[in-house]
Amino acid sequence: MSQATLYSVSYDLSNTIASALGSVLPSGARDLITSSGVVTGFAVVIFAVIILAATMLNTILLIWWERKLLGRFMDRRGAMHVGFAGLLQNFADGFKLFRKDTVKPREADPLGFYFGPTAYMITSLAIFGILPISSGWDTGALPLTLLLALAIFAFAPLFIFVSAWSSNNKYSLMGGMRSAAQMIAYEVPLLLAVVSVVIVAGSFDLNTIVYEQQNYWFWGPLILALIVFVAAMLAEMERIPFDLPEAEAELVEGWNTEYGGMFFAFFMFTDYLRALVGSVLVVLLFFGGWTLPSWVPSVATSWPLAGIFWFMVKTYIVFGVFVWIRASLPRVRTDQLLRVGWNRMIPLGLVSVFVAALLVVAKCVWPFGCLPTP
Amino acid sequence: MATEITATEKPNQNPILWVARPMATAARQFAKSLFRPSTIVYPYERLEDPEFREKVAVASGKPIGLGQVWDNYRGVHALNIATCISCNLCQFSCPDLCIEMVTVPGGDPKHPKKCPEIDYGKCSYCGFCSDACPEGCLTMTTRYELSVTKRSDMVYSPQRLNEVFKTKLPMNPIRLARPANEDSILLDVPLCIGCNACARDCPTQCITMLDIPKPEAKAGEKIPKRIWKEPVVNDSDCVRCGTCISVCPKECLFWGTRK
Repeated sequence: MSQATLYSVSYDLSNTIASALGSVLPSGARDLITSSGVVTGFAVVIFAVIILAATMLNTILLIWWERKLLGRFMDRRGAMHVGFAGLLQNFADGFKLFRKDTVKPREADPLGFYFGPTAYMITSLAIFGILPISSGWDTGALPLTLLLALAIFAFAPLFIFVSAWSSNNKYSLMGGMRSAAQMIAYEVPLLLAVVSVVIVAGSFDLNTIVYEQQNYWFWGPLILALIVFVAAMLAEMERIPFDLPEAEAELVEGWNTEYGGMFFAFFMFTDYLRALVGSVLVVLLFFGGWTLPSWVPSVATSWPLAGIFWFMVKTYIVFGVFVWIRASLPRVRTDQLLRVGWNRMIPLGLVSVFVAALLVVAKCVWPFGCLPTP
Repeated sequence: MATEITATEKPNQNPILWVARPMATAARQFAKSLFRPSTIVYPYERLEDPEFREKVAVASGKPIGLGQVWDNYRGVHALNIATCISCNLCQFSCPDLCIEMVTVPGGDPKHPKKCPEIDYGKCSYCGFCSDACPEGCLTMTTRYELSVTKRSDMVYSPQRLNEVFKTKLPMNPIRLARPANEDSILLDVPLCIGCNACARDCPTQCITMLDIPKPEAKAGEKIPKRIWKEPVVNDSDCVRCGTCISVCPKECLFWGTRK
């Protein structure tokens, strides 16, 4: 049996369902249902549903993980009453928000008010359609996965600004303007850090980037790029210490002040969705994706779905570091934020691009080893 | 040119430390609370539970404070219905008017037994009632959990207070000694008609009706129609509840210092 991929799993599932349905239907309907076109189309739907469900489940788990970790950092326990160790607490919170009413301010623009959070969530969800999580578990060989993912990731300031402006609230507007300024300022160092990885790997395809890390993970030689990437990602995700757009002490709740109920849930959910994207990108670009170093015994990787398991473990550890940063550092001022962005991060990013170029020229670097020969 | 140095920007300090030092502190805190955070998970763990104290304070090496409910803590009342004499003193002494005397089974039909029913929605836990109780049957325990979902559940009936008594929780041991110069029940002799109401209703049976001689009729004087008996109060048994004063039909009993 060949290795299970996301597409083969969903195709088999679709085939099974179609033949089971066909066996109880008359022959004309059976032929229609079991025809290859219908089965393939249905397989694509199942494929999308699996990705959507896995993404949502992981995002909710991520919130639980943050609550538990943050609790330990603050010498307390996080959520612990609903479900085992509070695992179902976020589902309960979600149901609560789902049942609540969304109150639209009278002067708010309904189109932007409802379109903003929806588009914010949809675009962020779309990124997961193209991120590979294990070998074969992706949408197929897109040559520019990384570029596409970052392009979709960069949509967010637009929708935040749209919803902030449509709210017709000065705090929302200030938060939206801060958000746009911050995200655009940190887009440059983020892309510089990504460029240094792309230079070393020689490809925009995330599968190739992971493949290129078989001898050593990129975080060692490209430590500067990692620092710049994580700092820029924190600013892009609007997490503490860069959560100026929703600074509670100054701006009530920032750009989502006027939102309640399900649309507030959209915003919160998408914040963690973007945090998940950030963690996944850090793992893919710097920590070898779903692979493990060669000295790890093959027992760890020989069982089915081991790649996904190790990928998840790495992602949650990386997100744990984000939580650690959140628990440690206070919020910075706007001028400090922009000064760090333009004066420190961009020069560091340029240096890391230079380091990456040296790495490609040298091929082999002690103590890391050599790049794989094409 | 003088440079202005603000508190947040000290040029002498290494900027790396601005990030590294708080992160080290947070990591230390994380390691400390990884297996046992300081939080006490209250409904499941109680500070006063000796088993829990042993586990936490001894096993994890984390002292968690004194964690003791003192014996004179004023929590929910315990009422021993069997020794209650229905003297009403708790109700009189209550500054919040939260005590109501309700009938409980066990008294004779003419003079029903009445025990306090306490509304914890009004109670201020001053403890006057348990201080006033002459028999020590109404005391305050160390129970402090009162959360209920209905307001009517805050009213504790005598039976419910008796249940608290049966749990044998530590009770408030403070008993006030009776003052030496306490007032006594005095009798305005000419008004008394010897009706026996005070002796009948006295919760401690400290009033006895003694015969008095019927005076000789003098010329032009009318002997009043009455029972030729007079109440005598045994001061050492009297709890000063005032029931006799309130039941006296002629208002001939009053508080005063016995000569």
